[in-house]
Amino acid sequence: MRQTRREFLKSSAAGAGALGLVGVPLVARAQGGKLVVWWNKGYYPEEDAAMQKIVADFQNKAKTDVDLSFTAQEDLLKKINAALIARRVPDVAFCFFNDWQVVPKYGWGGQLADCSDVVGDLKPRYNEKMLAVAHVLNGKTKKRAYYGVPIEAQTMHIHYWRDMLREVGMADAPDKIPMKWNDYWAYWKKAQDELRKKDAAKYGKLYGIGMTESTRASDTLYNFDMALLSFEGEVIDAGGKVVADHPKNKKAIAETLKWFGELFTSGYVPPDATNWTDGDNNAGFHSRLIVMTPNPSQSIPAAQFFNKEDPEKKNYFDNMATIEWPDGPDGKKARYLSAVKTIIIPQDSKNQKGAKDFIKFVVEKDRFSEYIKAANGRWFPAFKDVADDPFWRQGHKGPKGQKDLHVPVATTIFLDRDNKVFDHWKHPAFSQVYDENVWGKAMARIAIDKWPAEKAADEGIERVKSIFTHFK
Amino acid sequence: MRTPGRGRFFRSRTLTGFAFTAPLLFLFAAFVIYPMTLGVWYALDADAYRALFSDPIFRQTALNTFWYVGVAVNVKLVLALLLSGILDYPFRWIRLLAALFLIPWAVPALPGILSFRWMLNSQWGIFNYLLTVFGLPSVPWLAQYSTALGAVIVFHIWKYLPFWTIILLAGRRAIPNEMYEAAAIDGASTVQNFRYVTFPLLRNLYLICTLLSMVFTLGDFTVPWLMTGGAPGDSTHVLATLAYRYTFTMGHLEWGMATFAVALPVTLLFIGLLLVWVKI
Repeated sequence: MRQTRREFLKSSAAGAGALGLVGVPLVARAQGGKLVVWWNKGYYPEEDAAMQKIVADFQNKAKTDVDLSFTAQEDLLKKINAALIARRVPDVAFCFFNDWQVVPKYGWGGQLADCSDVVGDLKPRYNEKMLAVAHVLNGKTKKRAYYGVPIEAQTMHIHYWRDMLREVGMADAPDKIPMKWNDYWAYWKKAQDELRKKDAAKYGKLYGIGMTESTRASDTLYNFDMALLSFEGEVIDAGGKVVADHPKNKKAIAETLKWFGELFTSGYVPPDATNWTDGDNNAGFHSRLIVMTPNPSQSIPAAQFFNKEDPEKKNYFDNMATIEWPDGPDGKKARYLSAVKTIIIPQDSKNQKGAKDFIKFVVEKDRFSEYIKAANGRWFPAFKDVADDPFWRQGHKGPKGQKDLHVPVATTIFLDRDNKVFDHWKHPAFSQVYDENVWGKAMARIAIDKWPAEKAADEGIERVKSIFTHFK
Repeated sequence: MRTPGRGRFFRSRTLTGFAFTAPLLFLFAAFVIYPMTLGVWYALDADAYRALFSDPIFRQTALNTFWYVGVAVNVKLVLALLLSGILDYPFRWIRLLAALFLIPWAVPALPGILSFRWMLNSQWGIFNYLLTVFGLPSVPWLAQYSTALGAVIVFHIWKYLPFWTIILLAGRRAIPNEMYEAAAIDGASTVQNFRYVTFPLLRNLYLICTLLSMVFTLGDFTVPWLMTGGAPGDSTHVLATLAYRYTFTMGHLEWGMATFAVALPVTLLFIGLLLVWVKI
């Protein structure tokens, strides 16, 4: 029977509609059987390869399909935020920003699964100092629980070009760098002056200190909080109450901001540092446009280790070094802050048991050791047994037997120094203080708007107090 | 018993018409009506407005948006009006110039903005290199408020000027030659031609272009975000980038929606004026 054109179109439309209705549940069912894992894309291909291997092993062992996807950290944070808001979530999510932008906020909102059982099982293995990061408040129950599983950490280090110092006859060995507060910063200023004097054409645009002071960069948070510790100030107390306006802390905040402002306007920090993103100080350092830079991970030496243009790894072993943050203005040894990277399971995950089994599988000693070492020391393990591996104390051995001047320094900072996790776990509002980069804004007020430090400190403190009023 | 009216409806071509437009109506409902309703629903949160108005960055952002839309759109359209006059000259080389002139509009925004950012870098950018060649001090273009917001405005003009120039050129070409011939007989000069013939006949088109460009620019996210990302010190946000920051960086969807809602009356005003103007 011949169909008319109209009949054909009618039947086609009806068919397409019916197919659509039948197809939607099929897609949903296919997704439902899998463990959906969103993982932060590694900085090096080796990290991703190690995670893919773990997933393949897990699939074989648990006879479960795992839908693993890698996303760069900035995009993954947005993806996780959107998923949690829309309540269409993965089963497991690991983003480098989870610790301060996801766990406190969504733990408070009751949107994360309680992982206290997983953490409890792993407790004997944990470096206790790092556990607090996931022990956050639930706004509904008003009780704390582990709303995530911490796995690895980063902390503050300073990297510098040894060969630049050598070029102008300055001491370049890490133990020769002066560690007293004023001497330390003056040393890098002197390096800039000497290098510019020696070769104005080559070093005319070189700066001594690559200090990020931008609201766009999370590095700014580390820089400010490290300096605030050096000036012995605190924003919230142990109970999560704002104490920034107490006279001692207010003075310390103003002094810290003043120090950043003077550093920026001194001409020893690149003028674009108020506009930098997290990668810009790395880029400036690799391009040899800055002599030193504080950086809250080992990403800079790790990138040099994998530098294909430097097969003998001369930069990694000979031309650059990693040292500690200087002693405070009062002469006390630096105290450190760690950002502990944390895996989450959304409360809306339909497969929480599978998710927890997967996390336990990932963090098993040998498996996790292989994974974290693939990042070449960029991260430090949250587990004592993994950190016991000689790699963390010795690092790599150079082709000519050179010592590693990077990984062991980070290990010293993590294990031997006064080191605590950032305070955002104490109160969810503090997570927003970090989100808004309140102190980066205050730095800009001084550097760009030419405000006095006290006024910028007052505005920052008022903003912090205002943010806290929204969380009750 | 079926009424004759209903029967007619079911037998008529109207039902078939509905059936065939149903997919489009469904898509429109799913991707326009539903998200907009949800957005407005989220934006109805009074706490969100309290949070916005207590945030000093929001106040700065509202001011920036005013400057961005006001300066970028008006400078761009005045330049487009003048340039369309040049491109209207009947010389062969003008055609080549017109083709070259379209390049900024044809180039995707991302590489264009990244190139601009590189040129504006205070350490190795070409602008500062040229300044130092002439013995002038370097300028931290993207690290101070005025030049950073200025860079956003300049890039916007550079990028979208060709488009509006071509629109206004088409408008000029639609003006009958007889008008100019009559003006020539009356002894009109070039300026008088523009004042008494060209501009009055282009006025409606110019105003429509201005309103359309205002609507587009008010919602522009790409240029400000990629050029400054709000830096330095979150001082160069516009409403679109601030809403994005609130929603996706900070996870406050209701704040983001409220930010858009603040701009909604202005956008609706522009759209309303536009509809009145073109008599839709």
